[in-house]
Amino acid sequence: MNKRILLADDDPDVVEVVSMLLEDEGYEIITAKDGGEALEKIEAESPDLVILDLLMPRVDGFAVINTLHEPRFERWAGTPLIVLTSVREEVSRRRYELETGKQMDYAAYLEKPADPDELLETVASFF
Amino acid sequence: MRHKIIREIALSVIAAGGADNIIRALVEATARGTEAKGCSLLTIGEDGKRMIPRVSCGIDQDLLRGGQILADDALKQVLKGNPLFVWDVAGDPRITHKEVLEREGIASIVFLPFRDKQQVQGIMRLFFAQSMSFDREDLEFLESIAELGGSILRSAENQERLERDAEQARRDLARIRDERRHFLSFLSMVTHDLKSPLVAVQGYLKLLLRKSTDCLDERMVKGIHRSIERMDGMMELISDLLELSRLESGQIVTEFKTIAWEEVLGAAVEMAHELASLQGITVATEIHRPLPEVFASDIRLQQLILNLVSNSVRHTPRGGRITIRARRENDAVTVDIEDSGTGIDPGHLPHVFEEFFKGDPESLEGTGLGLSICKRIIDMHHGTIEVTSPVPETGTGTLVSFSIPIGVTCRVEDRYMLEEGAGTGTPGVDNITGTA
Repeated sequence: MNKRILLADDDPDVVEVVSMLLEDEGYEIITAKDGGEALEKIEAESPDLVILDLLMPRVDGFAVINTLHEPRFERWAGTPLIVLTSVREEVSRRRYELETGKQMDYAAYLEKPADPDELLETVASFF
Repeated sequence: MRHKIIREIALSVIAAGGADNIIRALVEATARGTEAKGCSLLTIGEDGKRMIPRVSCGIDQDLLRGGQILADDALKQVLKGNPLFVWDVAGDPRITHKEVLEREGIASIVFLPFRDKQQVQGIMRLFFAQSMSFDREDLEFLESIAELGGSILRSAENQERLERDAEQARRDLARIRDERRHFLSFLSMVTHDLKSPLVAVQGYLKLLLRKSTDCLDERMVKGIHRSIERMDGMMELISDLLELSRLESGQIVTEFKTIAWEEVLGAAVEMAHELASLQGITVATEIHRPLPEVFASDIRLQQLILNLVSNSVRHTPRGGRITIRARRENDAVTVDIEDSGTGIDPGHLPHVFEEFFKGDPESLEGTGLGLSICKRIIDMHHGTIEVTSPVPETGTGTLVSFSIPIGVTCRVEDRYMLEEGAGTGTPGVDNITGTA
């Protein structure tokens, strides 16, 4: 069975580009346009991997990462999470730490605009 | 001596008790002590002409009715600083509103100027039911009391003014903080919104290149590559502009902490190696240890070194060499970035720190903001930076040398920003930037 990837990004074009890229490689893509939808779909669909934008309306990616640490998401604790954002890594880490007092937890961090090969390699490294 | 003692006591009590209470106590005590029927204090209004009733005791409020009073002849004389004794209210032509005074049963009035060393602050009036006679000593004592009152009024005024000024300053500060916060969050939004479409368009182009190069001719493929590069340039420019604005607004001081120079250099040198080796350039280091700790932003110092190195890389041909030197010099650490590159046109040297200055205006590489950013980082750390080209020893290349004092003390305004940054807990909002 194809690996299923949840892609959460509020920019429909980013969703389209990344989906086209990953679908070509045989991955199945589930999309979410904000953090709230992403959490719902993680629960409902149990994807094999999550690609998460940080700056999204309503519930942002930082909140998603924080919520995933709650006990009700324990089942998905092992799901790898790739951050894909235009925010620099050290800046995100600092912000997350300031807001939650915890270290930001993710499997990989890619800065937009990400190189397609780099994104594919990163995704492939988890399967 | 009596005057001096009372004055000393009163002035120390003012600080604790508040001027209004002391003035009231002073007026009431004088009335009781002189067995006056009543006593009132008028102070001079802001226009310098009208008198404002401030405190009164023992007399009908009618005497004070009407709020402000225009100074009549009697009051005008006292305002010049001389006490006035009106032994016979009914017969004295200087007294107006006699009927009110008669109704109150007032026969004589003593007017005493409340004055400090500089000017008359107000007038105390003692109202008596009978014609009074004071001996010289009593009168002098009363004058001393009034003079003391003047000092109290003056210090109260100063106090009020200080409090008003402080309040104004607090309001200004709060407004500036608010404006700054809004500005920074506006900046981050603008940056994000400017970059997002580029990210999307670039994504499609990269995808196009991956999938369909077969049906595109070579020039077209080159054009798409070029489009991607131009968009990279645009994103770099957006990041640099944001970076400059953030530096300008003093935001980076929130990143200041005690850091070890050797660690900063270690990380920067490692990144410099990566950057240079891609272009076939070697990086040599001459770091004279030990280097001290410094109160600074490690991220910014690394960014500074890396910006300089990337400039060198851009202007040094393959096979060239970049040398990073660091040493302690008295109370500062000096870092040199020297390259064996093409150097800087002497005519351009004075302009290299100007915003958007590029040696080659046609060049699509770089934003022309790199050195402006470096200069801002230097300024935040109270350091100095100098560019020499060609390097005297070699007759070629460029030497950039900067110096950051060790004993950097936080300036007051920096410290405020530091506290503010720590206090709000939301400095992350404005942090979308991609430059390094």
